[in-house]
Amino acid sequence: MLRYILRRVLLLIPVLLGVAFCVFTLLYFTPGDPARMVLGDLATDEAIKEFRDKEGLNDPFLVQFGNYVYKAVAHGDIGRSYSTKRPVMTEILTAFPYTLKLSAFAMVIAILIGIPCGIISAIKQYSWFDTVTMIFAMVGLSMPVFWLGLLLILLFAVHLRWLPSSGFSTFKAMILPSVALAAQSISMVTRMTRSSMLEVVRADYIRTARSKGQNESIVIGVHALRNALIPVVTLCGLQFGQLLSGAILTESIFAVPGVGRLMVNAIMTRDYPMVQGGVLFVAVTFSIVNLLVDLLYAYIDPRIKAELK
Amino acid sequence: MRKTALFLALTALVLSLCGTAFAVKDTLVVADQYDPTTLDPIGHNDYPTSRACSHIYDTLVFLNPDGTLRPGLAESWEFLTDKDYKMILRRGVKFHNGEEMKAEDVKFSLERANTPAGSHIHTYSQDLDSVEIVDDYTVILHLKKVNYPFFSSLVHSWGNIVNKKAVEAAGDDYGMNPVGTGPFKFKEWAKGDHYTFERFDDYWGNKARFKTLTVRSIPEPTNRTIELETGAVDIAYPVTTVELARIEENPELELQRKPLPSTTYMGFNVHKAPFDDVRVRQAFNALLDTVNIQRAVFRGVGKTPRTLIPSATKYSIDGELPAHERDVEKAKELFAEAGVDPASISITIRSNERKERIDMATIIQAQLAELGIKSEIMQQEWGAYLQALQQKTHDVFLLGWGLSVPDPDYAVAGLLESNAGTNYTTFNDEKLDAMLAKGRSLPDGDDRAKVYKEMQLYINEQCPMIYLHNDEAIAGVRKIVKGFEVDPFEVHSFRNVYFEE
Repeated sequence: MLRYILRRVLLLIPVLLGVAFCVFTLLYFTPGDPARMVLGDLATDEAIKEFRDKEGLNDPFLVQFGNYVYKAVAHGDIGRSYSTKRPVMTEILTAFPYTLKLSAFAMVIAILIGIPCGIISAIKQYSWFDTVTMIFAMVGLSMPVFWLGLLLILLFAVHLRWLPSSGFSTFKAMILPSVALAAQSISMVTRMTRSSMLEVVRADYIRTARSKGQNESIVIGVHALRNALIPVVTLCGLQFGQLLSGAILTESIFAVPGVGRLMVNAIMTRDYPMVQGGVLFVAVTFSIVNLLVDLLYAYIDPRIKAELK
Repeated sequence: MRKTALFLALTALVLSLCGTAFAVKDTLVVADQYDPTTLDPIGHNDYPTSRACSHIYDTLVFLNPDGTLRPGLAESWEFLTDKDYKMILRRGVKFHNGEEMKAEDVKFSLERANTPAGSHIHTYSQDLDSVEIVDDYTVILHLKKVNYPFFSSLVHSWGNIVNKKAVEAAGDDYGMNPVGTGPFKFKEWAKGDHYTFERFDDYWGNKARFKTLTVRSIPEPTNRTIELETGAVDIAYPVTTVELARIEENPELELQRKPLPSTTYMGFNVHKAPFDDVRVRQAFNALLDTVNIQRAVFRGVGKTPRTLIPSATKYSIDGELPAHERDVEKAKELFAEAGVDPASISITIRSNERKERIDMATIIQAQLAELGIKSEIMQQEWGAYLQALQQKTHDVFLLGWGLSVPDPDYAVAGLLESNAGTNYTTFNDEKLDAMLAKGRSLPDGDDRAKVYKEMQLYINEQCPMIYLHNDEAIAGVRKIVKGFEVDPFEVHSFRNVYFEE
């Protein structure tokens, strides 16, 4: 098990190098001079030149990339933001708790609503509950988050005045963004649970369980659910990883100062170190979440645990 | 007896509860569009940051609403020569760290602007040669050359006085640890969300009448309005055209509007055919119905400029000139004189992504097409747009220019002086350069007014750009908030704000 984890962590290195290289290349070919964006359009040409020299922006592409990797590996330094002059890592770590809270909230909502709905839909297939749930799931899946977000704001903040429309410092302020963000995940979790359950309840061992007179709630809750959950866990993991990489639209609509908004601002102002650091951070988080999900399989499915050993 | 005691206790409880309920509001919450980038007054040149710095710091001179100057940290001043300004500093002014403000801090603050840390604002500070300390409360500012607008520029964020010791101690992290002499001191800054300042009780001037100032950054205009409507914020700025009616109709809210010294224009690349011919530029100007374009796009906010110096700025002749009128026949004549067939012209109109600019460009495109001029609108994201303009291969472009210093020189020089980095029309004209130099060398008065009048008429005749829009500063304010006034330079002050009881 430990060896497996170690191997997965080591695999992160080429992944991160690859990600860093891609971002570096993309930024290199993006129009817009960071010196001009950072110093403002009133800056003198000497100031621009000085900035470019100081930040090594005149070096050849590969030299710039090499320097970046060297600093990151040797000193753990991924640079300072051009615009705020603070270390990139500090900036990200200030923004990350917001994103983490938002994603965790959304994920909890998705699981609490999605899994029960999916199970009931599956065991009562073609019932009115199933139909209604599936229609809602379809709507939730197709509804863009910026549209849903605005509708929620209109209803709950403008008309009813129950909840604030922006900010993220109080529990009340977290409700709307989390719900808006969760909508798609709820739909996906519901649909996945339903289809996975449908497959499992037709399996032979379920028939066996029933025929030996097992209590129906144990048949569904223990025998069926545990087997049906594996694809759902994968999905939840992927979703959570995605949410963590910054729910850019949600964060913008509800003015949540998370990683997504931080990175959009950085891109707009050509804050290269901030963008690179941000993408790397997201890549690391995504990989770690994936690793955790894989480990969770082992916990749920004894067969996989055996394989890992 | 026990009953009486119980009664008394209950009464006391009720009273104390009432006390809490009716306690005077002690926190002002403001919604701004963006977060500051830093709290170092020379590390930026943007409005949200200027606003944040203005609460923490003071400048040597303060700006009156009518554009004149009054004493700030400097009690009085005297122009020894055209280039040497003697300033007597106020005594007993305390920094937030308890130190007294002295000549040394002033010297440090102003000279620091000319180091690389101040590259954003060199355009204002570059003519400062040095600051001489006469004694602890007297300094002399020595300029490299005569430049009267320099003195007005001291009200800009760059003229804020910082504490030398605090800056040196904090190094690169000073932007998060500001120490000034202003009415509010730094408390906390949750980046991207809000910053909170607290009343500075040792302030030298009138102390603030509320304890805590919280400014939240809410980029979405609709969200700012909603927060204002629900009472979560007391003042929201800026308010966009779309939101105006909602605030106006709400009995709890009030709108404050003031003309801004900013100009949106369509610039020609005067070094590229056919715009190298002044008659073609004038023909475009005659062909476009700028007054109605402005009305259609901004629906009652702002107005169409008649000159490059915005009407709210001194020496503007905006009020003396007639409104622009569309004249298609005149346009045809001008094209004929220049020997250019309008139907042969094919151009690209560039703009960044601002919706109002794209809307204007779309109407312009249609009006140009009436004489057969083909145009294509090219929308670019800000960074890419700036870079494209710097390469100077564009035809025409839509851009804005705002004044943050109350002097007409800044309205013209940055856009049209030959060597200006932001001169995207590539206008290069000795006569105008000479006028600008003369304007800078004269103290305020009739002579100076005459120079700027001539200059404005000359620019209108040369037509390097077509004026499209003068904007307004608009804030939404809850009616219980008193003593707030929108600042015409968008650096709104909350020093005199209080709540109605």
